[in-house]
Amino acid sequence: MVKEIERHGFPVVHMCTVVPISLTVGANRIVPTVAIPHPLGNPAMEPADEKELRRKLVKKALKALTTEVDGQTVFGD
Amino acid sequence: MRLELGDILIKDVQFGAKTEVKDGVLFVDKDALAKIAGDDERIKSVEVFLARPGESVRIIPVKDVVEPRVKVEGPGGLFPGFIAGVEQVGSGRTNVLKGAAVVTTGKIVGFQEGIIDMSGPGAQYTPFSKTCNVVVKVEPIDTLKQHEHEVVVRLAGFRAATYLGEAGRDVKPDAVRAFETKPLLEQAKQYPDLPKVVYAYMLQTQGLLHNTYFYGVDVRQIVPTFMYPTEVMDGAITSGNCVSACDKNPTYVHQNSPVIEDLYTEHGKTINFLGCVVTNENVTLADKERSSNMTAKLVEFLGADAAIISEEGFGNPDADLVMNCNKIEKKGIKTTLITDEYAGQDGGSQSLADSTPLGDACVTAGNANEVITLPVMKTVLGYPEVANVIAGGWDGSLAADGSITAEIQVITGATNELGFNYLTAKTI
Repeated sequence: MVKEIERHGFPVVHMCTVVPISLTVGANRIVPTVAIPHPLGNPAMEPADEKELRRKLVKKALKALTTEVDGQTVFGD
Repeated sequence: MRLELGDILIKDVQFGAKTEVKDGVLFVDKDALAKIAGDDERIKSVEVFLARPGESVRIIPVKDVVEPRVKVEGPGGLFPGFIAGVEQVGSGRTNVLKGAAVVTTGKIVGFQEGIIDMSGPGAQYTPFSKTCNVVVKVEPIDTLKQHEHEVVVRLAGFRAATYLGEAGRDVKPDAVRAFETKPLLEQAKQYPDLPKVVYAYMLQTQGLLHNTYFYGVDVRQIVPTFMYPTEVMDGAITSGNCVSACDKNPTYVHQNSPVIEDLYTEHGKTINFLGCVVTNENVTLADKERSSNMTAKLVEFLGADAAIISEEGFGNPDADLVMNCNKIEKKGIKTTLITDEYAGQDGGSQSLADSTPLGDACVTAGNANEVITLPVMKTVLGYPEVANVIAGGWDGSLAADGSITAEIQVITGATNELGFNYLTAKTI
């Protein structure tokens, strides 16, 4: 899906846990996430802390979306 | 460590007044078995049925399959950490009711259980159509949560298998097989001219009813460790999952791992089998990186020239498989991988979620997405309507006449990644 949307000229950020798979399938902008059953959250955290975590991940993704890349790029911490 | 397996060949199973083995027939005291299997306050009821090869019987949903065994010499007992204490197992003598199996069923836990047909086309896809099955149907009390439900049924299966295994304690085995792996330095010296092989044994540990246990510990919580191959024959590894039943290892398959038995067959002839590295398939990238790093480190430390790596499950564990392969190969150690495929119903899609050019020796157990129609059976043990919700089925899989059309993913063991299955391919 990432590649098909990009093929039509839209930049895409792939938010995913298993970064190596994302690299293998050819995503260009990759934001690593928390865990496979809960990529954008963490049930072990307090609700307020978890909200902050989610906000950080979305902000990172938005930043990645507006960043020019030259080939596959992982937006780590 | 040396273990003898005394195979008591079971050719039939029948109900009887007493649980015993006589002339190759396992007689089962139905009430006594139900009482022992149901000895848990979280269980409401237990029913016991028999399902023999060739009968028009379907078991659905299947949770686990367990082989009845009993420790007759040496330390410890079967299923350490659950039934026996946590003594070291894998040495001495264990008697096996070869040909018999406990199959657990009951109300569905999640979406994950499998199907066993004792005859018809479905029977050709599951190894458990060939065993004389003692089917234990466990119904929990109404207030039980899903994860507890899984625990309750799993333990009931172990208790049932242990109870039946006791019937083999004083029976003279029809055949005795011996397996031995020495401490590392001695083992390396025993066959100095043969290539040294380590088996990297990947276990399903994604959580959410995908769990495997090692001496009672959730394997998700371990870092990779060494195991003498005979330990698994005494139930050191047990299953807590059957999500997409085709490629999860029921406890029976761990007890009878064809990878380990075949490596032993070649031990001293073409290879020197040093032992197993037990590892997991966790759900965070850091866990995957850590476990594959440690697996590669252990394989190297043990002095392997080559490693067999088997996967359990599919999807994100493909990434663990690829990491293990890459990291072991980069240490100059050859690998062969065992997996299965999810290549779509037409077989035309990419088979695995991840890939590597270093994985140039790979064995497949088949395409789990292939569609099959399972005809009506005279008897259904369990709940046929779950065919519409288990992984590999869809809304409408169960037809009005009772037949089931679904992917072979629904069949217990159909694409088993330890090779405990019947699918083969030939080049034309």
